[in-house]
Amino acid sequence: MESLFEKVNPDLTLLTPHLIVLGLALLLLLADVIIPRAKHVALTWLTLVGFGAALVANFFFIEENRSTFNGMFRADDFAVFINLIVLTGAILSVLVSSSYLQKLESPGSMPLAEYYVLLSFSVLGTMIVGSSGDLIMVFLGIEMSSLAVYALTGFARNRLTSLEGALKYFLLGLFASAILLYGMAWVYGATGTTNLDGIQAALSGPQTEGALEASLLLALLLLVVGLGFKIAAVPFHMWTPDAYQGAPTPVSAYMSVIPKVAGFAAMIRILVQGLSPLREEWVVILGILAVITMAFGNIVAISQRDVKRMLAYSSIGHTGYALAGLAAFGVVTAADDRSVSSVLFYLFGYAFMNIGAFAVIVWLQHRGHGVDLEDFNGLGARSPMAALAMTIFMLSLMGIPPLVGFYAKYYVILATVEAGMLWLAVAIVLASAVSAFFYLRVVAAMYFAEPTASQTPGRTPMLGFGVLTMALATVFLGIFSSRVLDLAQNWVNAFQTTI
Amino acid sequence: MDSFPILSVITYLPLLGALIIFFLPRATPDQTRQIALWTAIATFAASLIMLAGFDINQAGMQWTEHMEWLPGVGINYDMGVDGVSVLLVVLTTLLSLIAVIASFDPIQRRVREYYIAILLLEVGMIGVFLALDLFLFYIFFELTLIPMALLIGVWGSANRVYASVKFFLYTLAGSLLMLVAIVATYQAYYEQTGVRTLNVLQLAEGNYGHNFQMWVFAAFFIAFAIKIPMWPFHTWLPDAHVEAPTAGSVLLAGVLLKMGGYGLIRFNLSLYPDASRDWAPVIIVLSVIAIIYGALVALVQPDLKKLIAYSSVSHMGFVTLGIFAFNMQGMMGAMLVMVSHGLVTGALFLCVGVVYERAHTRLISAFGGLATRMPVYASIFGVFMLASIGLPGLSGFVGEFLAILGAFREYRWAGVISMAVVVLSAWYMMLMFQRVVFGRAPGEPPDPHDGALLSSVQPDEPDKHGFHGVPTVSGGSGMSMAGEENLESEHVPRVHDEPEFPEDLEHGADARAGHVPVWPDLTAKELVTLVPLLILTVVMGVYPSPFMDIMRSTLELVLQPFGSVGV
Repeated sequence: MESLFEKVNPDLTLLTPHLIVLGLALLLLLADVIIPRAKHVALTWLTLVGFGAALVANFFFIEENRSTFNGMFRADDFAVFINLIVLTGAILSVLVSSSYLQKLESPGSMPLAEYYVLLSFSVLGTMIVGSSGDLIMVFLGIEMSSLAVYALTGFARNRLTSLEGALKYFLLGLFASAILLYGMAWVYGATGTTNLDGIQAALSGPQTEGALEASLLLALLLLVVGLGFKIAAVPFHMWTPDAYQGAPTPVSAYMSVIPKVAGFAAMIRILVQGLSPLREEWVVILGILAVITMAFGNIVAISQRDVKRMLAYSSIGHTGYALAGLAAFGVVTAADDRSVSSVLFYLFGYAFMNIGAFAVIVWLQHRGHGVDLEDFNGLGARSPMAALAMTIFMLSLMGIPPLVGFYAKYYVILATVEAGMLWLAVAIVLASAVSAFFYLRVVAAMYFAEPTASQTPGRTPMLGFGVLTMALATVFLGIFSSRVLDLAQNWVNAFQTTI
Repeated sequence: MDSFPILSVITYLPLLGALIIFFLPRATPDQTRQIALWTAIATFAASLIMLAGFDINQAGMQWTEHMEWLPGVGINYDMGVDGVSVLLVVLTTLLSLIAVIASFDPIQRRVREYYIAILLLEVGMIGVFLALDLFLFYIFFELTLIPMALLIGVWGSANRVYASVKFFLYTLAGSLLMLVAIVATYQAYYEQTGVRTLNVLQLAEGNYGHNFQMWVFAAFFIAFAIKIPMWPFHTWLPDAHVEAPTAGSVLLAGVLLKMGGYGLIRFNLSLYPDASRDWAPVIIVLSVIAIIYGALVALVQPDLKKLIAYSSVSHMGFVTLGIFAFNMQGMMGAMLVMVSHGLVTGALFLCVGVVYERAHTRLISAFGGLATRMPVYASIFGVFMLASIGLPGLSGFVGEFLAILGAFREYRWAGVISMAVVVLSAWYMMLMFQRVVFGRAPGEPPDPHDGALLSSVQPDEPDKHGFHGVPTVSGGSGMSMAGEENLESEHVPRVHDEPEFPEDLEHGADARAGHVPVWPDLTAKELVTLVPLLILTVVMGVYPSPFMDIMRSTLELVLQPFGSVGV
C-alpha cells in the first residue's frame, strides 16, 4: 500500500535519463541565444555529451522495474532497452548531422541549435513512450516525438521537396494521431481506465459478451491503424517515401529509426501490456500486416533509382520484419517468449545499419554527389573504405551473416517458429530474398560499374568516425549479441502480464 | 578435447592474412601477393598437421572444439572433423594455395582486394566443412557468397555483373529456406527434449515426424542442390564459371560445389533419415538426368570453360547418385568423386587459364596444334582430361566406378544409364582435346603429309580443321562423330561473330596472314600449380586405399540408419 507521501511525491530519480535530455534541450535553447552563431559548432559536442550522459544514466535502471507518478511512468527493463535504442540512434544521428547542417543545402539556412533542440525533444518524446504506463503518456510521447520530426523534415526550408515531404508527413501524421486518440478513447470507454495495467486487469476479469467485444474490437482496429502510420506499415505508409526523400539526409536517417521505435514502443506498451487479453485478435492482424508490409516494401524498392527513396521502401520492409516478431507474442510461456525481445533487438541492430547507410549517402553528398544509384558507380575504386562501409550496411540490411541484420532477422524467425507461425518465417525469408535484389544493386554499382562522375574532396572527420563506428557495430554486434539479447529478454520481467 | 584448437587455427588463419592485407594499404602488389601466399601456405600446413593427427579408426568427430556463444538460443561454437570432412578440408586449403599462386600473373588490377576476397572465401569454405553447429554452419555457408560474387563481378570477363548477381541471388534464395528449416528443426528438438541446441550431432538423435522430415529435408536439399548444382538448379553455374577469373573457377568447381554434397551427407542424411529414404528415388532420377544432361550439353559447348562447367554438372550427378544409393560403395564413390573432381576440374580450369592468358579467348575453335607449340602443357592437360573421363589408373575412375556400382546395386537402371554416359563424357572431352591440342590452329597451313584429307578441307572453314586433322582419337565414338560435326558446324560460326572477344578477331587476322602466334610453354608458376594436382590425381588413381580408409569408419556410421553396409 502506497503511503500518501509517496503518492504526492513522485520518485524523480527514476526520470534521470529523461531529465538529462530535457535539460539538454533547454540548455540548447539557451545556448542558441547566448553563444554567437560562429561558435555553434560547440553545440554538437554539448548534444553528444548530453545524450551520452543520458545513455550512461539509463544503465543504472537495469532490473529496477519500478514505477512512479501513480504508475504513469515506468522505469522497467523495457523502458531501459527503448532508451538504449533511442539514445544510441540519437548519438549516431548527431554524428551524421553536424557537417551536413553546416556545409550542405545552402549553408547557414539550417541553424545547428534549433536542429539539436528539435532532435532532443523528439528523443525525449520517444523515451517517454517507452517509459509510459498509461495511454495518456503514450499519446503525449508520440506527439512530442512526431511534432519535432515534422519540423525536422522541412528543415531544408529553401528546398521544395523538403517542404512537400514535411507537409505530407504532417497532415497524415495528424490524421493518424487523431485515429490513435479515438482508439484510446474507446479503450477508456470500455474499461474505465487509461492505466495500462488497469486496462489489462479490467479485460482479464469476467467478460460481458456482445457490446463490449465489438467496442473493443473497434478500439483495437483504430489503435493499430493509428500506430501503423507511425511505424510506416502498409497500407499506412503513404507518407514515407516522400518524407524520406525530401528530408535532409541526416533527418531521413533519424526519421527511419527513432519515430519508428516510438511507434513500436507504443504498440508494445498498448497491445502487449494493456490489451494482452485480446491477444488472439491483434496477433492475427499484426501477422497479416507484417506479411503485406514486408512484401510491398521490398518489391516496390526494386524499382527505385533514388537511393534515399529505395531506403524508404526498404525501411517499410523492415517494419514488416519487426511486426512479424511482435505477431509471435503470447504463444509460449512468458519466460520463453522471444517476441518482444526479437523486436527490440531488431530495432537496435536496425539503428546501426540504417543510419549507417544514410551516413554513407551524406558522405557522398559532401563530395559533390547526388543520391541516385549512378552516384555510387565506381565508388569501390574511388573510395574503398566508404564503399566497404556501404557494402557492410547493405549486406546487413539484406540479412547476410555474420552482420547484425542477420542475427536480428534470425531472432525474429526464431520467435515466429517458436510460436508455431511457420508461414511468417517463410514470408520473412522470401522477402529477404527479394530484398537482396535491390541492396545488391548498390553493391554492384559500387564495385562493378565504372565511375561516371568525378568526386570533389571533402573533409568530414566526425561523419567518418560515425560511419566507422556503425560499420564496426554492424559487424560485431551480432557476433557478441549474447548480452544485448539477455537485456532485451528482460522485457518479460517488465510487464506483469498474465497470459 | 581441450588441446590445441587446430581447427579454429585452420579456419581463421586466412582471416588473419586478409586482415593483415587490409591494414597494409601501402603494401606493393608483390608484397600483398607474398602475404597471401604465406598465409595460404601456413593454412595448408596447419591442415596437414590436422591430417597427420587424424585417427582413421575413429568414426566420430575429432579435434572437437566447444565454446558457449549465444546460450540463450542454443547457439554454440562447435567445430569438429571426421572422415567425411577431413579430406575436403585439405582439398580446400590445397586448392586455395594453388588459387593464390595461379593469380600471381593474371591479376594485376586491385590486387589487395582480390587477395582479401580469396582469403575470406577460404575462411568460409573451411568453416563450412568444420562447423558442427547449424547456425555456425549457416554463417560460413553464406560467408562464401560475397567474396565469390566479388571475384566474379570485379575480376571476371565481359558478362561478369550478370553472372555475379545471378550466382548470388540463386544461392541466397536457396539457403534462406534452409534457414527456416534449421530453426524448425531446432524447435522440434526443443519440443521433444526441452534442450535448446543447434549441434548437428545432438539434433540427429531426435525423432522427427514424417511429414515434418519431408519438407525440412526438401528445404535443405534445395539449398544444397543449388550448390552442387543439380539439374534443374544448375543454370547459374555455366555463367559463373565462364565469367569468373581462373582462380575463382578453380575454387568454385573445386570446393564450393563440394559444399552441396557434403551438406547432403552431413545434414540431410543424419538429421532426416526417413525423409532421405523416401526422397531417394526422386533424387536418383534427378541425378541421372543431371549426368546425361550435363554430358549432352557439354558436347555442344564452343567455350572451354562452359564445357568444363557442364561436365561438372554431369560429374556431380555421380555424387548425388552415390549418396542416395545408401550403400558403402555408393557413399564412398560419392566422396571420392568429390575429392577427385576437386583436383581434376580445378586443374582443368587452370589449364584453360593457361591458354586464356596467352590467347585471351576460351573458344575451342580459336585453338589448335598446341601439342607442337606447348608440348609440356599438352601432356599435362591430357592427363587431366583423361582423369576427368574416368580412365582407370587416374583419380576419376575410382569414384565414378564405385558410385555407379553402388547405384547399380539399388537401382539397376540408374547404374546402367550412368555407365553409358561415361562414354559421352569421353566423347566431349576427347573432342575438345583433339581440337585444342592436336587439330590445326586457325590459319595454320595444312599438314603436307596429310594428303588424303587435304583435298576435303575447305580453306575458308577453319573450324572444321580440328576435326579433320586427326581422324580418330577415340575409336569408340568414331561413329557418332559425324553427328557431332553437324552440331558443331551450326554452332561455331555464330560464336565466331561475337564481338566481345576482340583478341579473337585479332587472332583471325593472324589466321589471314597465315601465321600462328607463338605461345611460350608453361611457366614455372603454372607448373607449380599443376604438378601437385597431377601427382595427387595419379596417386589417387593408382593407390586409392588411403583415401578410402580415412573415410571408411565415418561412412559406416553415416550409413548405420540405412541398414546396408557393404564392401
